Amino acid sequence: MTKKGKHSLKIGWLYPDLMSTYGDRGNVMILRKRCEWREIMVEVTGITLGTDSTEIDSVDLLFMGGAQDRQQEIVKKDLIGGKEGFLRRAIEDGTPGLFVCGAYQFLGAYYIAADGTKIEGLGIYDLVTRTPGRLAKRLIGDIIIRPRIEGLEELFVVGFENHGGRTELGKGLAPFADVVHGYGNNGTDRTEGVVYKNTIGTYLHGPILSKNPELADYLIRRALEIKYGGAPVLEPIEASWEREARDTVIGRYIR
Amino acid sequence: MIVPILALTKTIAFLIRAGRIGHGFTWPGEIALRLSGSFIRTMIQKNPGLLTVVIVGTNGKTTSAKITRHILSKNGYRVIGNETGANLMNGVASCLIGNANLYGKIVADVAILEVDENVLPLLLSEFHPNAIMVLNLFRDQLDRYGEVNTIALKWQEALATLTKKTALIMNGNDPQIFYLGKSLPNLSVSFFGLKKKAMKKRAVPHEADSLYCPECAERLTYSAIAYSHIGDFLCAGCGFQPSGIVDYSETVKSPLLGLFNRYNTNAVALMLHIVFGIGLEKIKRDIADFGAAFGRQEIIAYRGRKIVIQLSKNPTGFNQSVEVLEEFDNAQKGVLVLLNDRIPDGRDVSWIWDVDFELLRDLADRIVVSGDRAYDMAIRLRYAGHNRGRSKGKDKLDGVTVIPDLTAAIERAVELTPPGDFLFILPTYSAMLEVRNILTGDEFKQKTT
Ligand SMILES: [Zn+2]
Repeated sequence: MTKKGKHSLKIGWLYPDLMSTYGDRGNVMILRKRCEWREIMVEVTGITLGTDSTEIDSVDLLFMGGAQDRQQEIVKKDLIGGKEGFLRRAIEDGTPGLFVCGAYQFLGAYYIAADGTKIEGLGIYDLVTRTPGRLAKRLIGDIIIRPRIEGLEELFVVGFENHGGRTELGKGLAPFADVVHGYGNNGTDRTEGVVYKNTIGTYLHGPILSKNPELADYLIRRALEIKYGGAPVLEPIEASWEREARDTVIGRYIR
Repeated sequence: MIVPILALTKTIAFLIRAGRIGHGFTWPGEIALRLSGSFIRTMIQKNPGLLTVVIVGTNGKTTSAKITRHILSKNGYRVIGNETGANLMNGVASCLIGNANLYGKIVADVAILEVDENVLPLLLSEFHPNAIMVLNLFRDQLDRYGEVNTIALKWQEALATLTKKTALIMNGNDPQIFYLGKSLPNLSVSFFGLKKKAMKKRAVPHEADSLYCPECAERLTYSAIAYSHIGDFLCAGCGFQPSGIVDYSETVKSPLLGLFNRYNTNAVALMLHIVFGIGLEKIKRDIADFGAAFGRQEIIAYRGRKIVIQLSKNPTGFNQSVEVLEEFDNAQKGVLVLLNDRIPDGRDVSWIWDVDFELLRDLADRIVVSGDRAYDMAIRLRYAGHNRGRSKGKDKLDGVTVIPDLTAAIERAVELTPPGDFLFILPTYSAMLEVRNILTGDEFKQKTT
């Protein structure tokens, strides 16, 4: 078990004011509370326009959510203007992170919008996203997946997806999960998201960590492990409401 | 063509009423539109004397429509309007069918039509109303409506097709709507808003959307905020800020609680003044005995308790409901939160994480949670700190009770509320309809007698 008050984590929340449209800020609230309940000290630092790039070097766990196209443009300008290199290095060096929807797409090589314009991404993930055109349907609905992450394979992860883009992973990349119900990366290959180094990219809103606390704890554990070494064990937290919430969705699609 | 369509659809409407088929209100309109795509246009052309007032915006349409109707009726106008929730094209068409004779003649002076965000462009391609009230634009059901910027663009294209004959009454404190109004210099646009001193907030709450200048994308600063992103904004980049705003709210007092209702009332007063030439003093007198709209702050007496239903269907609406709770100055407050995820509610419940439930902590003495997604709401409340007694892995939650079954949840919430006290019910749309049925329907009468 982690010793009370002995550990601390700093969560770097990328563009909290710009990239937080679909309730995704809940992921940060959840990570924070699950640390606090175990007396792991937490600090959440917002990394946004005007924040010094070096702040990224100081964080133990990264999070970024999705946003409207217009706000994504502002973010892109800011990243390319300085923070890009820092973010890339943090991810390559193994800082754990969660990147949802717009952020997930944005870490890829490029994004082709419905009107055909190509928007360059950061190219940290070897993946591309295309929107098949104005009339193509958005991939919207409840989604159930099974993660390919060690220790979480038995889990049904439940969320909500809402994206126009279809994402194809490069050859060397592993998906985050297999789709049980819903669309996932592209609606055809039954994969969802990506795992790269210690980060997860995913389309799941909900927010994803709300009904899947095992995933939240996985990220916390990983961050502690990298910061302090060893194999940290987290104090269990009662989760009957989470089980009920998950079963509500699963019960609609799987019998 | 119009006579057979009306004969058929009026018969269907009759059968729906006779068979008491719930939610059948939009069928006649749906069938009429399938038989003739230009049905609404034809009906409006057949009734050149009928004045049309269209109300659009994310929140406040029903309340504004009801206040408008109340005052116009008192001023001798015969008013018709579409029913709550029937705010798509088929709902508008159904309203016209229901009020027309077989030849398409409508015996009324004014039609008040509240329409869905996505429907405004479609409706304006059919006819040009006498007035359009544009109330606000918030994040709501992203799975259905898409993003706020996208809707603003569609509205701009649609409004640009109008002429000076349509009076546009627009919210000058909503940056996106003010910008929209300013982009239509050849039309008759009036802006309503509040004076800075009526705005109490200084910080923009999380659910706010329009934080960036619609003109130059610079970050907007606010000297004061009424609620969400509605306030006295300024762009440091290009100087974009509200101007020419009319505030009648000091004369015409809002009959309902909440700053958002002051905006609704203000919009109605400005429209009635401009379009119908009704004096402010008259409006002030006529509004005094206004009763709340269906599911919007109506108070229902139930087994000795006072039940307040406040529709809470999106982040801004929910945060507003929390503020209404603040305004109710009584010691004991029970809250029943109802979360459904049916089509009228939006299938995605992620939005509850954009609501500041942390604020509810000090306002509610007890919270019961129910609805199709009761457990999602319970989890949200847990992380908002509504679980003071929780420790050591036990699930002892002082403040929150989860009862997915709605009838049982109401029973429990009422039991927990001492007689004479208030119980606030905060439902999403479909839950609001259900809860009203339970509280005012036959089931209720049997239980109380
Ligand atoms: Zn500007």
